[in-house]
Amino acid sequence: MSTPAAAVRTGAALREAAVTARANWSITASAAVLAGALAAIAPLVLGGAVATDTLASGAYLALAATGLGFCVGLAGVPSLAQGAFVGTGAFAAAHMLRHTALPAEVCALVGAMAAALLGTAAGFAVRSLDPVRVAVGTWLLSWLVALSLAALPWLSGGAQGLVVPTRRLFGLNPTPLVHYELAVLLTGLCALAFVALRRGPFGLDLAAAARHRGAAAALGVPMERLRVAAFGASAFVGGLAGGLAVQLDVVADPTAYGPLLSFELLVAVLVGGATAALGPSAGVIVLGLIALAARALGSLASVSGSRFQPMLEALLLLAVLTTGGSALVPAVWDLARRFLPQREGRHVAARSGPARPAETLRAASLTKHFGPVTAVDEVSFELRPGSITALVGPNGSGKTTILRLLSGAVPADSGSIELGPNDLTTRTPAERVHAGLVRTLQARAYFRELTAREHALVGVDRTRRNGGGFRTLFSTPLFRAENEEADGRAVAALEALSLAPRAERPASELTGAEQQRLMIAAALATNPAVLLLDEPSAGAAAADLEQLIGLLASLRARGIAILLVEHNQALVHAVADDVLELEQGRIVRRTPRRRN
Amino acid sequence: MSLAVQVLFTGLSAGGVYGLVAIGHSLIYRLTGIVDFALGDLIGLGAFTTLLVAAGTQPLTQESVSGGWMALAIVVGLVTCVAVGAAGYVAVVQPYIGRSAIGWVAGTLALGFAIHAVLDASFSRPAYVFPDPIPFHRIGHDGLVTILGAEVHVRAFAVLGVAIVVATAASWVLQRTWFGRSLRAIADDADGAAIVGISVERTRALAFGLAGGLAAIAVVVAAPGAPFDTGSGALLGLKGLVAAVLVRFGGLWSAFAAGLALGVVEAALGTGLLGHLPGLASYRELIPLLVAIVLLAARPLRVREVVE
Repeated sequence: MSTPAAAVRTGAALREAAVTARANWSITASAAVLAGALAAIAPLVLGGAVATDTLASGAYLALAATGLGFCVGLAGVPSLAQGAFVGTGAFAAAHMLRHTALPAEVCALVGAMAAALLGTAAGFAVRSLDPVRVAVGTWLLSWLVALSLAALPWLSGGAQGLVVPTRRLFGLNPTPLVHYELAVLLTGLCALAFVALRRGPFGLDLAAAARHRGAAAALGVPMERLRVAAFGASAFVGGLAGGLAVQLDVVADPTAYGPLLSFELLVAVLVGGATAALGPSAGVIVLGLIALAARALGSLASVSGSRFQPMLEALLLLAVLTTGGSALVPAVWDLARRFLPQREGRHVAARSGPARPAETLRAASLTKHFGPVTAVDEVSFELRPGSITALVGPNGSGKTTILRLLSGAVPADSGSIELGPNDLTTRTPAERVHAGLVRTLQARAYFRELTAREHALVGVDRTRRNGGGFRTLFSTPLFRAENEEADGRAVAALEALSLAPRAERPASELTGAEQQRLMIAAALATNPAVLLLDEPSAGAAAADLEQLIGLLASLRARGIAILLVEHNQALVHAVADDVLELEQGRIVRRTPRRRN
Repeated sequence: MSLAVQVLFTGLSAGGVYGLVAIGHSLIYRLTGIVDFALGDLIGLGAFTTLLVAAGTQPLTQESVSGGWMALAIVVGLVTCVAVGAAGYVAVVQPYIGRSAIGWVAGTLALGFAIHAVLDASFSRPAYVFPDPIPFHRIGHDGLVTILGAEVHVRAFAVLGVAIVVATAASWVLQRTWFGRSLRAIADDADGAAIVGISVERTRALAFGLAGGLAAIAVVVAAPGAPFDTGSGALLGLKGLVAAVLVRFGGLWSAFAAGLALGVVEAALGTGLLGHLPGLASYRELIPLLVAIVLLAARPLRVREVVE
């Protein structure tokens, strides 16, 4: 590649990025820039009122809280270990500074890496979506770090802590002001990363998983991987804050990183707003005001203000929780939006996805036992491209279990599942979706607050190749190009299920029948070869049923192989090409029907 | 031998308290599907309320409290514990059950830290010596008896005894009373229990308070043996949680047994009974915690975690 050509291309990409940025510039962006500018000049404005090193400590706290936002805001996971990650960063950096001659920034980075390592391990440990395990696991971790620092003098330097040598920071004398500006800059960058990730596939997939894990799993969202990444990122930022703050404090204090710090960071995130990029920072400012109030209260009662601070923080959080009040930044934002002109939704033309070869699914001798019960017994069948196979039978005959075996939600005891040349028998649900086998759930399993368009995008995300975290963060040209295509494909999927006019509505506002169709649209957006539908007629009125018949026929016409688990005889009669009757886990009758 | 005996009884005595806290955690988890992070501080509240009624916040000599007054103090402590626990459940837990994990996690944490902070502001000295409900120093040699060559505090027996009695009483209540049957019905199937006319939320709220009260009784017996500070409750809550996690929030007696085992293991690690590895004693609290985290990561809490 010749250098001038590369330079031209880079220049073009930059120009394009600038144009996109201008087109997408909003009042939110202006508000954020204003907030950043105000934060940067705060030490000058507040002058003698608040000491600069207090402000700098607060700014590092804001950085750690913004990091916690990745876990709480993006992944919806209650992490109680952020204080432990900050502590890990602080002590790792302190040891590096004491025992090596490495530059200060490198030591802080080592601290961040150490915290990220611990965070990734913790994220891996609690990767299942059971919130009790996440909360208990991170709580125990937070105590483990606190008690380790208390009990192990070689680690923490004993009761006096570790004295940290000061070194120049980015060539500057490390004054509190330099620390403060650095912390504000890093917090701003972290908030930008939060916004980028939240808008991209990473944030959308996590949002879907937090709202309905079963539906997200059925669409092939790799939840565990995403959550481990969110934990790791969260811990990295926390560790970075710790590694830098310890250089400001000059002493690494072993008692400063206990469960109380984790709690305070959580309070900041929840009070400020977990889903807003600047929410955690706003929360930290509130904590700062609380500290001032606590000091005033303390001087009234002639006790140290630090005794009142946790109480006021806890009461504030309890007040927010018990009144069901919304967090600070989202509340202000909702209020502001009433007075601001609404931006028109941009029209996106439908686009079709890459062609997928029509392939036959072959299930052979599938068997599943639950204890002494044989739920599925040596079941074999084929799903041909462009055909609808109905699976019927009484309750408990094994219909849904067959769907779960096919989608990989439960492993089969024996038997095999092949899609064209691919053996999917031992693949995970996410891998099966990738291979072209996707399932919808019985009942209304949807992602409440997400819009119809976002539902379809979660499906489209499964086929993206340039939607990873790194590309999302830096909004690479490939990422942006793919974004356009993804939007188009989401529109196409919604149009296929007659949902295009509802694209910007939250799923919870749709009718029951629309919600059923919405999840089919999301499944269709994964560009499947085989579609497994569990009771799509549930809750459908007569008119809805007519529409559903037409829609299923049109999906068949696209060459998709459809397996329909259905109680509604009218629907089965109207669309099925083959009917498999199931009784006690066995196929008792196969009825080929002539297509009209 | 004498060291082993000493470790065993010290450990069992500490473990009895852990066991009661573990029963509380287990009971709450089975009833509501959540973990109460305020449980430890609730126990601290019970203990310090007892102290407040018995002796105020001033320094005291061990014999300055009469038996009747002490009994009243314990009752007031328990009632406070149950009332605050039940109110906490109604205010910050019930609205979030099954809806928002972040809600109940943050709610119980905030409740715990609020209780801790109130205690901290009211009891400002670093540590407190509790009055003794039972005059142990009059038994044996100034409260010590010799068993198999080991000197053991009489208090250790009393704490263990009280713990066993409380656990037995709790088990009896669970098995034999209407309240206990309601609790078991809710743990089994809350919706079903509601249909047959059990007031699910009222029962759960009461259980939330009683869970703290259970352990507070043992703490009041154990506390005079060593300085007790406002953070001790939270630490007990943690130890009970570790024990409960070790048995996956299992039944009453397995949670109690896990607490006893945790106490003995800590005592054994702390006294160097398991060989004099350098510095092993400083790991006595860390090792069980690490084991609990690993177990939590390795196995799901329920037999079936429902994921479609």
